[in-house]
Amino acid sequence: MKQIKNLKRGILLFLLALLIVWPFLFQSKYLLHILILIFIWSYVTTVWSYMGRFGLVSLGHGAFFGIGVYTTAILFNLHHVSPWLGMFVGGLVAAAIAVVLGYGCFKFGVIGHYFAIATLVLSEISTLVIIALRDALQTGGRLGLTIRSVGTSPLYLQFDNKMYFYFLALALLLLALFIWKKIDESKAQMALKAVGEDEEAALSLGIDVVKYKTAVFALSAFLTAVGGTVYVQFTMFADPTTCTGVGLSLGIVFKAIIGGMYTLWGPTIGSLLIVILEEYTRLFLGSAYVSYSHIIYGLLIIVLIRFLPKGLHGTVSEIFQGRRKREAKTLLAGRQLAENRD
Amino acid sequence: MLILNSVVNGVLFGGVLALMAFGMNLMFGVVQIVHLAYGQFIMVGLYLVYVLAILYHVPLLLSCAAATAAVALLSILAYYLVVKPLLKAPPINQLLALAGVWMVLENACLALFGATYKGVQVVLPVLHVGELYIAASNLIGFVVGLITLAMLYLFLNKTYTGVAIRAIAQDPEITGIMGVNPRTVYLVTFAVGGALAGITAACFVPVYSVHPHFGGAFTLLAFIIVILGGMGNLLGGFIGAFIIGVVTSVSSTLLNPEIGQIIVLLICLLIIIIRPQGLLGVRGK
Repeated sequence: MKQIKNLKRGILLFLLALLIVWPFLFQSKYLLHILILIFIWSYVTTVWSYMGRFGLVSLGHGAFFGIGVYTTAILFNLHHVSPWLGMFVGGLVAAAIAVVLGYGCFKFGVIGHYFAIATLVLSEISTLVIIALRDALQTGGRLGLTIRSVGTSPLYLQFDNKMYFYFLALALLLLALFIWKKIDESKAQMALKAVGEDEEAALSLGIDVVKYKTAVFALSAFLTAVGGTVYVQFTMFADPTTCTGVGLSLGIVFKAIIGGMYTLWGPTIGSLLIVILEEYTRLFLGSAYVSYSHIIYGLLIIVLIRFLPKGLHGTVSEIFQGRRKREAKTLLAGRQLAENRD
Repeated sequence: MLILNSVVNGVLFGGVLALMAFGMNLMFGVVQIVHLAYGQFIMVGLYLVYVLAILYHVPLLLSCAAATAAVALLSILAYYLVVKPLLKAPPINQLLALAGVWMVLENACLALFGATYKGVQVVLPVLHVGELYIAASNLIGFVVGLITLAMLYLFLNKTYTGVAIRAIAQDPEITGIMGVNPRTVYLVTFAVGGALAGITAACFVPVYSVHPHFGGAFTLLAFIIVILGGMGNLLGGFIGAFIIGVVTSVSSTLLNPEIGQIIVLLICLLIIIIRPQGLLGVRGK
């Protein structure tokens, strides 16, 4: 068992080293572009799964992503505010909305598919707000907006050489995975898993479920908005269909489902597969056929939910580890926690 | 006068909305499923009318009837392939699988018809009644909506299948014991729901041009009405449709249409959180 763990760690370190030296070894701008996209979407999907794994399926992350994109873009284009600052402003706006909506929902017991619908409404609102502000804040409405270019300027988070974005996005992804681990190891998380949805039992362990869920929601929203900022600085263009709204929200959730939303690597694997699928159809069939790749992954979603609701990586790792063992572990942790309290 | 005019047109539009929301409400009440791809079924209906009437020169009314039948068939197909296998799964899985259907239908239409607007150019007169201007398209939608709803009322109250549908909505277990097969009832419900989406599409033909992202807004609109009236509450949904019809019509006359929609959506959010049983509903079991 220990050998397997060491082997796994070795492979991961090797992959990480490979990713770090990659841009110096290979000059392909196209591959670099694809890798940046994979990192950004893996990051956003991982951040989404902080909540997804609690059964809090948010269909509103497109809105948070869009808040990051448009706050940064508008602050920079209209007031020349650095995107580094815009990133935090966007993140805070997203977190504030998450706190209000999340607290309201969790306090009144809006969970499961009701929570999904509430957040779906948020996604639709975000698109409409951007369209409504087409003149007032020069969002450009459905036509989209372009970030004013200042060449390469670290202060304004603009680089002609995409390699900077590569490392920025990679760092974000590693951060997201690290936070996932931290949340996974937190006592509140273990206890929540152990008691499931039973909020009274959780309260008896001294965990305020509403507060905890709201905090995770806010963290997830903040980080998603940060992802939006990095994405728009990278592409320099934003429009409501790709940067916000229901379509994007579903895209994030689908990536998580395909990879598996209950495991550390699931969201990354899902994003990797989908970005490759999209790029493959774009490259070999032409950009008019990108919709075919979406048909394929829509079908994939339906099939996966029916046969493998834990996602590809989730199912594979379950086979390897044995589900019972994991559950026993968390149960034990919950009991220990309860005993310590007494 | 301007406001009165938009109120009247809003009430007329509410007739079609009532029809649209009824389908979603029926599926929620009977099968306990939130049909996330409902608006996409309406979109498919509109595309079918376009293909038949414009590309194959089939008479318009016949095209509408054929499209309605086809959407009902599609709904049955969706029941067998997507919903039925997930009947015992958590509601969130059902919701996400239907989001997959949304994705497939939207992109299939995008692949087949491109991103441009397609419409059947029917020019209908605007009627003058006293000082009111009434769009004939709204009037047709209103009349068709009310006739269909009246027929549905008779179906649900006077036929065995209809009564079985209502019984299942009230108590699936007991009804099962009494010899009604829920699976058959679910199938009929999906067929009726699909047909309603098709008829809604037919009513939309003179009003809207269709494009691949057409459905999402109507899925949400149907939701909002259903939520307003209380999920599964058919009468509540009926009243909710007219409220939403009037609010949308008046707010887009006075403010700009996006702000009107945003206000409606915010109200909807509040209702989900504070009164999930709906403004007009009573708290269920």
